Amino acid sequence: MKTKEESQSLAEKYRIRKYLDLVKQDSAIAEIKTFIKEFPKKKAMILYGPAGTGKTSLALAAAKENDYEVLELNSSDLRNRAQLEAVLKPATLQTSLFKKGKLLLVDEVDGVTGTDIGGIPELIKLIETTKFPIIMTGNDVWQSKLSQLRQKCKLVEMKALQTTTIIEILKKVCEKEKIKRDDDFLRKLAIKSQGDIRAALNDLQSYSHSNDIQVDTTEKRDVEDNIFNILKKIFKERQPFLELFETTKMSLDEILLWIEENIPKEYKNESLAKAYYALGKADVFRGRIYKNQSWRFLIYQNIFQSAGISFSKPGILPPSFTRYEPPKRILKIWLNNQKMEKKKTISRKYAKLVHCSTKRAMRDFPMLKIIIQKQEIQDQMRLSEEEVDFIKK
Amino acid sequence: MSQSEIWTEKYRPSKFEEVVGQQEIIKRVKSLVNAMNIPHLMFAGPAGTGKSTLALIIVKELFKETWRENYLELNASDERGIDVVRQKVKDFARTKALENIPFKVIFLDEADALTKEAQQALRRTMENFTNTCRFIMSCNYSSSIIDPIQSRCVVFRFKLLEKKDISEVIKKIAEKEKLKIADSAFETLYEASEGDCRRAINLLQATASISPDITSEMINMIAATTKPSGIRVILDYALAGDFINARDKLLDTMLKDSVSGQDIIKGIQKEIWNLQIEPEIKVKITEKTGEIEFRMTEGSDEFVQLQSLLASFVLAGQGKQI
Repeated sequence: MKTKEESQSLAEKYRIRKYLDLVKQDSAIAEIKTFIKEFPKKKAMILYGPAGTGKTSLALAAAKENDYEVLELNSSDLRNRAQLEAVLKPATLQTSLFKKGKLLLVDEVDGVTGTDIGGIPELIKLIETTKFPIIMTGNDVWQSKLSQLRQKCKLVEMKALQTTTIIEILKKVCEKEKIKRDDDFLRKLAIKSQGDIRAALNDLQSYSHSNDIQVDTTEKRDVEDNIFNILKKIFKERQPFLELFETTKMSLDEILLWIEENIPKEYKNESLAKAYYALGKADVFRGRIYKNQSWRFLIYQNIFQSAGISFSKPGILPPSFTRYEPPKRILKIWLNNQKMEKKKTISRKYAKLVHCSTKRAMRDFPMLKIIIQKQEIQDQMRLSEEEVDFIKK
Repeated sequence: MSQSEIWTEKYRPSKFEEVVGQQEIIKRVKSLVNAMNIPHLMFAGPAGTGKSTLALIIVKELFKETWRENYLELNASDERGIDVVRQKVKDFARTKALENIPFKVIFLDEADALTKEAQQALRRTMENFTNTCRFIMSCNYSSSIIDPIQSRCVVFRFKLLEKKDISEVIKKIAEKEKLKIADSAFETLYEASEGDCRRAINLLQATASISPDITSEMINMIAATTKPSGIRVILDYALAGDFINARDKLLDTMLKDSVSGQDIIKGIQKEIWNLQIEPEIKVKITEKTGEIEFRMTEGSDEFVQLQSLLASFVLAGQGKQI
């Protein structure tokens, strides 16, 4: 008979239990510590990064170190509004019986899908009322459906582990498990895992029962590429282009925004102009697709948006690291619309009184703002209190 | 109804005699109104030259106290789709007026903003309801109105107000509001208004709300707040090779000052000739600008296209081929 411990997978068995065990994620550890210390300054945080970088482990370790009870909800649970309300909501409001506190863990938050109706909005509501820290994990948190959630949360990135780090961990495990493998074998395993320690440990386990030491590094796990890798492939590697965008769930239009944001980080002068020329062309085809529903043009958008950008710089690209950033434009537009809403309603009221268009009133707004400081005019326009506040600012 | 404290309304002329400038037009319109019958009218001309004012005077003269019931004002730049014509216009046009006058009046302000489809729809409406409804349309350029509509209207072309006209209006208001206006301020007001009476009066009121002593400096200060000054700054950043700042400033201008991409590109096209770059490059970059403007009308993303233009300005700033 095997004990429980023996029947566990290596990945579970060596899942880190304490911060100390967590290799090379110092900045993430520091972030989670401050998050818990400063709670409820920020009520929720999202740990994001590729699979197997220790997101869930870190959250569990945080609970253990603080002697918190963990309430976990992962993608195997239905996470629609009713479910969240029934399970999580009471938990966010009641104190723990046995432990010092509680920590709510919503694993794989990017996996809240279409069938989980109202899941994300309910999660946002929970964040507002919760008495305990909520930690969420996810691989791809830049999807638009999570945009509102992102604004409510502290975002902490967990980087893919470096091959050397994975080798270190594998060595330690081998030692403890008395598995005899040479360094070359472990190195191959580490490379194959692409920074995913869980995958590496699983592989170690599967190979540990066979004597065949051959590791085929080409047999990669079918990982979904994140946008940062895609950008890297476009800007630095000139990877096979036609399949490039098929490795992500992100739409072509969303990728276009990411490229738009990051072009100036990679190119200057002539290359900058060429890259934007290509992006402009991609956008023209995008426009034609929408206008005429001619999906045939998708291939042109695709090519301009990948190879077009890639070949804006001549010659071979020197390997270097660039910190890509998510597109700011959408957020800015959204914030601005929030602000503009008042300006618009005020302008509409004004326009009605003076026989001009709302657009014209918006254009003249700085001047009108001075004029409508007068109480009588505000009354005549029937401005709401908020609108009066807005023009007084 | 109590008098408005917004001066553009408070001092809006309500009789033909009070209108400044456009004397020829006034004379002809007045004779039409005296005959108690008007054709469809089209007022073409720049903003703030009296188009809406004249339309209002016409209905007030025709219907006297009941003008509100027999008059519909729509601003096409806010409601520019075909639905407006199909619903609001038709609903109002199909019922008869209750007065001695057998028709109602619809004032369609900024009619050049109507889509071509809406204009086509309007053309039939104008004919079908001509017995019960007359249209007055205003636009900046009659050329942006389809021919069939133009041919159904008597077209009047409004001119920009001259300095003496604007000054007359200002003087009248200053007297009533007890303002002290420096002599040079008249000149400044006229220049800042660009012949647009609404703008002149708004400038005056905004300035007066700070102090009743109106000086040139104060007017200029207020006027500067509504000038889209951003474009030159954007281009200067780009020419200096600072693409990131140029782009941030561009987005700011488009969002905070609510300037559309189309207006930005028009501004850029005008500004090119004031830039310190070789004439040869100016021509090249103008060509590029034209292409970008065309793409925008075609439905491309304004911000992406403008960024691509800014990248060309970076090259232009270095005297390189575009």
